[in-house]
Amino acid sequence: MSEELSDGVKELESMIGEEYKYGFTTDVEYEDFPKGISEEIVRELSRVKEEPEWMTEFRVKAYHAWKEMEEPTWFNATYKKPDFENMLYYSAPKKKPQLDSMDDVDPNIRETYEKLGIPLEEQKMLSGVAVDAVFDSVSIFTSFKEKLAEAGVIFCSMSEAIKEHPELVKKYMASVVPVRDNFYSALNSAVFSDGSFCYIPKNTKCPMELSTYFRINNMESGQFERTLIVAEEGASVSYLEGCTAPMYDENQLHAAVVELVALDDADIKYSTIQNWYSGDENGKGGIYNFVTKRGICKGKNSHISWTQLETGSAVTLKYPSVILKGDNSVGEFYSVAVTTKKQQADTGTKMIHLGKNTKSTIISKGISAGQSNNSYRGEVRISKNATGSKNYSVCDSMLIGQECGAHTFPYISSENPSSSVEHEATTSRVGEEQIFYLMQRGISEQDAISMIINGFVKDVLKELPLEFAVEANKLLDVKLEGSVG
Amino acid sequence: MSEVIQRDTMLSYITGSVESSAESVAIRAINERGREDLEKTPFPTRKDEDWRFVDLKSITKSQFCKLEEANAAAVGDISEHYLPEAMNCRLVFVNGVYNEELSSVEDLPNNVIVGNLAANADNNSVKEHLGTITNYDDDVFAPFNDAAFTDGAFIYVPEETVVRTPIHILNVFTDAEKAFYATPRLLYVGEMFSKSTIIEEHIGLADNQYLNVPVTEFKMFTGSNVHHARIQRDSKKASHVSRPIAILDKNAEYHSYTICLGAKLFRNDPRVIQNAEEVNFTVDGLVLIDGDQIADTHSIMDHRFAHAGSHQLHKVVVNDSAHSVFNGKIFVAKDAQKIDSFQENRNLLLSENGKVNTKPQLEIFADDVLCSHGATIGQLQDEEVFYLQSRGLTEQKSRELLVYAFALESVESMEVESVEKLLLNEVIEYTNRDEK
Repeated sequence: MSEELSDGVKELESMIGEEYKYGFTTDVEYEDFPKGISEEIVRELSRVKEEPEWMTEFRVKAYHAWKEMEEPTWFNATYKKPDFENMLYYSAPKKKPQLDSMDDVDPNIRETYEKLGIPLEEQKMLSGVAVDAVFDSVSIFTSFKEKLAEAGVIFCSMSEAIKEHPELVKKYMASVVPVRDNFYSALNSAVFSDGSFCYIPKNTKCPMELSTYFRINNMESGQFERTLIVAEEGASVSYLEGCTAPMYDENQLHAAVVELVALDDADIKYSTIQNWYSGDENGKGGIYNFVTKRGICKGKNSHISWTQLETGSAVTLKYPSVILKGDNSVGEFYSVAVTTKKQQADTGTKMIHLGKNTKSTIISKGISAGQSNNSYRGEVRISKNATGSKNYSVCDSMLIGQECGAHTFPYISSENPSSSVEHEATTSRVGEEQIFYLMQRGISEQDAISMIINGFVKDVLKELPLEFAVEANKLLDVKLEGSVG
Repeated sequence: MSEVIQRDTMLSYITGSVESSAESVAIRAINERGREDLEKTPFPTRKDEDWRFVDLKSITKSQFCKLEEANAAAVGDISEHYLPEAMNCRLVFVNGVYNEELSSVEDLPNNVIVGNLAANADNNSVKEHLGTITNYDDDVFAPFNDAAFTDGAFIYVPEETVVRTPIHILNVFTDAEKAFYATPRLLYVGEMFSKSTIIEEHIGLADNQYLNVPVTEFKMFTGSNVHHARIQRDSKKASHVSRPIAILDKNAEYHSYTICLGAKLFRNDPRVIQNAEEVNFTVDGLVLIDGDQIADTHSIMDHRFAHAGSHQLHKVVVNDSAHSVFNGKIFVAKDAQKIDSFQENRNLLLSENGKVNTKPQLEIFADDVLCSHGATIGQLQDEEVFYLQSRGLTEQKSRELLVYAFALESVESMEVESVEKLLLNEVIEYTNRDEK
């Protein structure tokens, strides 16, 4: 009798569980998710995402921390402050409108795709056209997944990781970017939507560049993305986010948090190509890209490298940093930031040297055109115990046109007499002599300028995975087309 | 609703009120303006970007009184500080007060004025320019000087006149029972195509605590030329916060060299403003500090018109637990094309407890420019030390020689021989300090 009852309860329980599992909550309910932010909303968000108790508490704590913080204003950009009370913090995964053929796609976008040389099938995927059966993305995707699993690499969405690998998430999440680190990291911690989680076990080389994976499976993860990459002892991984194709998104504010953890002898290479909608000629619309990215070289001889190509967004505030804690660890930052029209970019890096014999390199190239403003803001700090450490920084800016601005704000400090820091920066424009030289060799003006610019950014682009480097070059050409001359 | 937090003002660290006893109406008007600014501007804290790295304790942990209340010692014989080249061209200020007996001004070209402000208060140039050139936003120190000064130095060089004798402005500070404040002031007006050399010195005669807040204003008309050396040898317990500013008309040249040797806290905000096309200027600095000294330079090279050449070399040697801060800004306004600006900051960090913060900063709004900066923090190269050792020098001596060579470049820009010699001796004393 009692057995029957308990069976019944179990069945009932499993039914309830099933309901959740398959997300019986309908779209209508999601749409009813009220605007604005409060503790209830944060709890509700966590409940809808079926998160465990500890995660809910993490979010609520972060929410209260955020409440007490003030929105920063120290950066070199002016924009209309986002209205946090008038924002939706959860919406069902968006469905792109399905189009029947490429002919339905906005001709402007199509033209850009062609200039970038993106394969037709991929173009269709990016613009939401129904994909032919021939282009079997699903099977490629599955074969990748198998390959990763074989190597023991965990690579899944953050929501999945919270459920399946709570011990790892608990251990590393917010260990690099503390919740209270800044206004936007606190907000992200409270309401992050999703993101990627990647764990490379001991002495494993990730069998493929995780960038390739994204080429096939271009994920939509919403405006508050959260990424965590952990490389165990001797592990190595290369990760690329973003895409050269222009990305349109209705969310104006993007406040992501990316954390990298490298243990002894581990190697993480993180590359970003960002080409979000940057607003129209008059600076109307466009994305605010306020990202907190930080890596920690926790173990000895570890290595973290950030490479970024920033061409999109109306306002970009982004400082991918490395904390060099392990002895002999190495941090690198390679960046190209291009601003045109009325874009504003305030970007750079932080290299915090804590361990002995740590080394860091910063190569930053800024190109401003139109009426845009481009700032490099960086910090290099050599602490007292970081004996024998070295830093080398170069940040060059190029100005195209008379209405743009280039700014350099490097903060350098050293408390150690056996370390050395070198920093140099220049600001200039595309030389008339250089253009003339190339033109008298029979090269058109536009090509000459694009060659000079490609030469200017070469040191950075060569750090990108090969296939992207080619596209990145084209992207620069497209972006700067018509801004010179 | 955010709470309004009541922040301290400069007046919190001053005993009594800052009241003017100036006779001149013009000076009293500036005093009044300064007082108004002082009352409404909060004293800086580390939360202010421009004061992020500086420890202002040596001001905020003290109270400074008027000179009259400090019971200061008499000045005595200071002839050892006179420059042989400028024996008859010297203004002496003792604790910020003009001392006519020790000053000596003779044999100057016609119509050149080297004197004190109070005596020249009715001069048209004083009326026109005094207090109009300084312009520091949200600052408390320039307004403090504005509010408290009653006298100062005034130099006027008429059109097409070259003053060959260097002009020596000697500020000395004597021992006192109480910590006092002083507000030296200098107004320089260089008419068209004039030329001169100014040696501005600050010397602490004893080892006492005081607050020295000098303001210097340079108005440079078309084609005028000035070499301005500033030597700061305040007492190692003093705080020195200075605001030197120069404004340049067409074809003007202004070259300033600031040498920082003394003071517990030294903060210097040199500013050069381009007021017309085609100017040339230098804002060099040399900082040699040890013990628990703090030296902070925040310079601005403000290019507002086309065609300018500007140069800044800021060299720093840090020993013991001293702390150096440098923030050099190069501004290039929109349409200020053809600017060639170069800034270099070299730091030599010699000790375990020393600290260096540097922030060279470019803000460029014009495209046809060549602006660059370089900053390094490092130590002596082992190879260099080894080379000198292989030539028979001890390691100690080799290191001293290398530090000496590092500082030499800045000292060599001094145009006046006795000043160069004086500084070389100071450099040697600094580098050989461990030998004693």
